[in-house]
Amino acid sequence: MARNNAKKKKLKGNKEENNRKKGFREKLTEMLELPKELVLNIPRITMVGNGDMMIENYKGLVEYGRARIRISTGPGTVKITGIGLVIREITSEDIIISGNIHTLEFLYASNDMEHTG
Amino acid sequence: MKVLLLLRLWNYLRGYVIIIVDGFFTEKFINICAHRNILLWDVVVQGDRTMTMRMSIKGFRLIRPIARKAKCRVRLIKKTGIPFILNRYRRRKAFFVGALLFVALIYVLSSFIWNVEISGNKRLETARIEEALANNGIKSGILKYGIDTDSAVSNMMLDMEDISWISINIRGTKAKVQIRERIPVPEIVPRDEPCDIVASKDGMIKKVVAKEGIEAVGEGDTVKKGQVLIAGTIPLKDDDKRFRFVHAMGKVTARTWYEEESPVILTETERLKTGKEINAHSLVLFSWKLDLPHRKNNFSNYSAAENRRKLSIGEDLVFPLEWVTVSYKEEKLAEAVINAEDAKNAAAEAAYQKALQQVPENAKVVNTNIYYVKDEQRGLLARVTLECLEDIGVSRKIGGN
Repeated sequence: MARNNAKKKKLKGNKEENNRKKGFREKLTEMLELPKELVLNIPRITMVGNGDMMIENYKGLVEYGRARIRISTGPGTVKITGIGLVIREITSEDIIISGNIHTLEFLYASNDMEHTG
Repeated sequence: MKVLLLLRLWNYLRGYVIIIVDGFFTEKFINICAHRNILLWDVVVQGDRTMTMRMSIKGFRLIRPIARKAKCRVRLIKKTGIPFILNRYRRRKAFFVGALLFVALIYVLSSFIWNVEISGNKRLETARIEEALANNGIKSGILKYGIDTDSAVSNMMLDMEDISWISINIRGTKAKVQIRERIPVPEIVPRDEPCDIVASKDGMIKKVVAKEGIEAVGEGDTVKKGQVLIAGTIPLKDDDKRFRFVHAMGKVTARTWYEEESPVILTETERLKTGKEINAHSLVLFSWKLDLPHRKNNFSNYSAAENRRKLSIGEDLVFPLEWVTVSYKEEKLAEAVINAEDAKNAAAEAAYQKALQQVPENAKVVNTNIYYVKDEQRGLLARVTLECLEDIGVSRKIGGN
């Protein structure tokens, strides 16, 4: 428990630091009109209806199945569920998924923190 | 699976393989491939731990260490694309030489002009235009890249006085030449020179309106060609021997008649086909003709029809290869009697058409008469007279012709 708490504290500290840091970076990128996803290392997701989806600036594929795909990105994991999901194309820059997409979830560390605390 | 058609075609040209990956860490395999810039597409989960995917031939060569790293088994299912097809025929040198030769031949043959198409000429003879074009470097069998159409156009304009406009377009192996003919300019007497208005043809005067000059004829007068209709010579009031000369102007409308006849044909020799025919084929390459053997034509009565088919791709790419078929069809002659009424009508129609061709453009047909006359030599004739109203006045210098 104690170890867990310590971890939480450490995370919290990190988060605050991140917040401060990101706040500055975000402001800067907005000021300079730079592409946010590249500077802040966050994914850029484009969807056409619920059938086609392109994720740019991703890190890697974590899980791939017909009903569920998980993709790791800078801030955390992106989870897609649906029916008959297929990777149409995958390169180091982007991944194109098509199928019948039902849900799209962002499993980010910061989200977890808000849930728990 | 609806990848863009163009992309599909591109992939087919480049060639790709379909592989099946089997293992617990297939995602890892995909990740490593992506990081090493190996494009994967149509990744489909097949079973519990297997998935199929497509990748380029180049990517497939780099795959072995990745499979080992991800502890996956990779099997090749299918090779698709042009490179594999070419590989299959690698040993067949003659095939490649033939393919290359074919492309080269198409290219060489399509860089010449094989056909000159002339349109828009009514009075000018096509042969004359062709000759003039040939003198200016446009004829079949000439390399099309060396043709300067602009200078050819201006030279043609200089060479042929009868054309008012010409355009030359090179389309494929065809040179399309369009022509507008010059309309002959009527001789106009300058405004300040005295002239008469004379009849351009025989007729009966309907109306004379003189704007300048004296009306020399009145309504109902019959006039001959060349007769003065409005005189530009005006006698002075007191003196009969002295005259004032003016540039006569005005409009003279007259009735004119055009007559044509056509014989009434009561019997007709009908040519009945017996069904027997002989086809003679020949192949024409450039101007060199090769006759293919055929049966001898020993029909006493026959009709011949020639059918030429040029080898062409589309409409514009015509090649100098022609397949000519002449078919001789045997015929039996039979005399048939035509209904008198039908024969008369046909003759009248023929005469009417002939007469109509004589009527100038600015004339208006007001009356059509058809009657039949017996001729000693030619039998029954259908005669058609067209009565027209037209302006017959033309200017002519006083004292001139």
